[in-house]
Amino acid sequence: MRIPLLILALGAALAILPFVGSEYALSFTVQLLMFTALAYSWNIIGGYAGYTHFGQVAFFGLGAYVGALLIGAGWHWLPAAGAASLAAVVLALVLGGAMLRLKGSFFAIGMYGLARVGENFALGFDGITQGGTGLYLTPADLKPIYAALAVIALALIYGTHRLDNARFGLQLLTIREDETAAEALGVRTTRLKIAAFMISAAAPGAVGALYATYLAFIDPATAFAPMTELTTIAMVLLGGLGTVLGPLVGAVLLSVVNELLWSRFPELYLGLVGVIILGAVLFMPRGIVNAVARRRWRWSAAPRAGLRRLADAVPAADTGRRALPETAPAPRAPDVSVRST
Amino acid sequence: MSAPAILDPHADQRPAGVAPGRDDILVVDGVSKRFGGRVALDAASLTVARGSITGVIGPNGSGKSTLFNIVAGALKPDGGAVRINGRDTTRHSPAQICREGVGRTFQISRLFAEMTVLENLVAIAHGKSDVQAVERARELLDFLEITALRDRWGSELSYGQRKLVEIARALMLEPTLMLLDEPFAGINPRLQNRIVEHLDTLRRDGLTLFFIDHEMRIVLEVCDELYVLAEGRVIARGDPEAVRADPAVAEAYF
Amino acid sequence: MNAPVLELLVGGVLLGGLYALMAGGLNLIFGVMRVVNFAHGEFLAIGALVTVSLVAGAQAPYWVALIVVPAGAALAGLVLQTFVIRRLADAPLIMSLLATYAVSTVLVNAAILIWGGGYRGLPGVLSGSVRVAGVDVSVARFTAFLVAIGTSLAVWIFLRSTRTGRAIRSVAQAPELAIISGISVERVRNITFALGSAMAGLAGVLMAPTFASDAQLGSRFLIKAFAVIIVGGMGSYPGAIAAAMLLGILEVFGGYAFGQVIGSALLYLVMLAVLLVRPRGLLGVGARI
Repeated sequence: MRIPLLILALGAALAILPFVGSEYALSFTVQLLMFTALAYSWNIIGGYAGYTHFGQVAFFGLGAYVGALLIGAGWHWLPAAGAASLAAVVLALVLGGAMLRLKGSFFAIGMYGLARVGENFALGFDGITQGGTGLYLTPADLKPIYAALAVIALALIYGTHRLDNARFGLQLLTIREDETAAEALGVRTTRLKIAAFMISAAAPGAVGALYATYLAFIDPATAFAPMTELTTIAMVLLGGLGTVLGPLVGAVLLSVVNELLWSRFPELYLGLVGVIILGAVLFMPRGIVNAVARRRWRWSAAPRAGLRRLADAVPAADTGRRALPETAPAPRAPDVSVRST
Repeated sequence: MSAPAILDPHADQRPAGVAPGRDDILVVDGVSKRFGGRVALDAASLTVARGSITGVIGPNGSGKSTLFNIVAGALKPDGGAVRINGRDTTRHSPAQICREGVGRTFQISRLFAEMTVLENLVAIAHGKSDVQAVERARELLDFLEITALRDRWGSELSYGQRKLVEIARALMLEPTLMLLDEPFAGINPRLQNRIVEHLDTLRRDGLTLFFIDHEMRIVLEVCDELYVLAEGRVIARGDPEAVRADPAVAEAYF
Repeated sequence: MNAPVLELLVGGVLLGGLYALMAGGLNLIFGVMRVVNFAHGEFLAIGALVTVSLVAGAQAPYWVALIVVPAGAALAGLVLQTFVIRRLADAPLIMSLLATYAVSTVLVNAAILIWGGGYRGLPGVLSGSVRVAGVDVSVARFTAFLVAIGTSLAVWIFLRSTRTGRAIRSVAQAPELAIISGISVERVRNITFALGSAMAGLAGVLMAPTFASDAQLGSRFLIKAFAVIIVGGMGSYPGAIAAAMLLGILEVFGGYAFGQVIGSALLYLVMLAVLLVRPRGLLGVGARI
């Protein structure tokens, strides 16, 4: 599938929707775009670099509060969202240097705890955050927020498409596959991980602020909701970890389920998301995108086509110079023992 | 042959038995390592001449893997020093050693399993555009005659194929020194011979190769210089013929 | 500020006993499986809720819960190990972590559906108070502490001095070697998972009379148990017991000085600091990261 074409088509559809769709459709799409952005961001660190990230909602929550506080201080929501994004990136930089030295279970625990601590801080520092009461904002017009989210989501899809075909993406994959070996082969894993972590924090920060604007309200339970975290992870896993289209497929599917269940049966919804994650892990760990591409379940990934196309396009070594080391047979030096004592 | 020590002012700074005036890319100087109470390496010294194929053999538990891992930076010795290109790399991380122009393979294949062979190679290229990296990868696959494996997953390859891809991957770094961790272990003689031919070609192209193995036949065939390790000590060194004739080696190994 | 130091100290130690039991089980499982069980907290929460239902609802004596709940938790742990964790043994670690995280979510929400979202207490069980070190302590808390610490120490002795215990330790330290020496790793894993889960269930039973229990109790305690095993050293059993005491005291003092919410966040910050400065843990012998 030609992904840039798909993105253009999506962009066109998203551009038309506000003029033809109902308020309900718009509101549903806002949620969809929000989760699409979160899922693509999670995919970078969780799917490509393979770090089990249970703390994305910490960046989302931080963004929500930074955004809400700035808007409360008189900022327009757009620069407030930018500042929220920046705050999340800075937090990722500060934490990343330390946290990403931890691997596997350690990283998972550290980030899981971070989200809970964020919630505790939002509750505890009630002088700033109003604690459990939450912050109220004056409602903003829905359409510009929708447009901002659409731009973020489309940019992330395109960015992931580029990443998947670039060496940066491959290097993130080497971290997922075997970080020690990658490092021994000269891949600068630490700075790559921190870069990926920062990139993956940018959108959640901005989206958090936009979400607060959209709701015109934020409180600790909403900002740091485990539901946000779980849904995001389930989307990426269901669609396909470390794939270009997986998060989109997962986001669309789960947003529909979310819409049907979340408002009426939140426990049922969250339990179901748990079951979906469990089912995906056990029976379809490669996700829908890979399963469709390979028509096989379980542990088979679909090939990434980008490099192969490049390899087919690169002219064979017919430029006159020899392909790599001199391969012409030369008599082996008869006296190889001269160096020995 | 060795010059008289009196003519060589640096003789006392050199590990015992090293010829003066030769250009060594790798010097292991009196390296020791203990694991708990067990001595794995006991003041082992060796040198690798630039442009040579130098091997270390020894029975299981002789300390050759420990030695290899210390050279590659994966282990830190308790005493002694490692110098690569004259630089002390004893305390360097594996990544830093890699950046000194050292490529390596792994004893148990560590190909990136969920990546294709081409991706395995291109991912670790350094200082190249993507196009250049792909071109280099193609050349290497051609050279090692494994172009057919280009789009296969790392996890799909046979044991011998992995060995070849690992060599290709290490060559992506355009190293001046290649460290090969048991390149001949567990593969059939035909493939062993193929690897020998490739190593020989690489050596003629100026690359230095240093490896450990225990496949005596192939080691005697490929090495310019050979060290025999037993119980953490170098018990013999020299060209294959000399080592084969050494009674100490026969006792420890054959 | 005239802090009631002694009261706080005793309170901290009593809390630490429960943390020791909870974290001990989690640590045991991590040591052998190399997987952090994110559902561990739910065993505790559901254990506490079942205890409330048994004692307050079905009018069963408290000691029945002390036997039935840990046994049920052991069985649940065995089911989790058999049908989820074992099947993911060859998959990347991220899959096991996602799986236990998912199981945790399923259990929390199942518990909310069964018991509702509110808090449930168990008044009238082990009521009254005793004087310990010059401080009045409720019988329930003191009993909980004694049983928790007693069990933790008993498990430690079991690990050190029985054949099965030594097999568990050798699998934790060097699985490859354990296989060579003829230990059935599969059996050891099953036993460990059952034992660790039973410890979480028991902690739930012990907490029910003193703490108000709710379905979300698990994740709050899980973070604390994480903090304990990281400060104590992942995979180090005695380290976890010592760290549990330390963090129990720290939490009580922190809560007194900065309020409950920041007090529990303090544990996390300590954990973070230890993770960054000394990932092996303050007291731990060190686990592979």
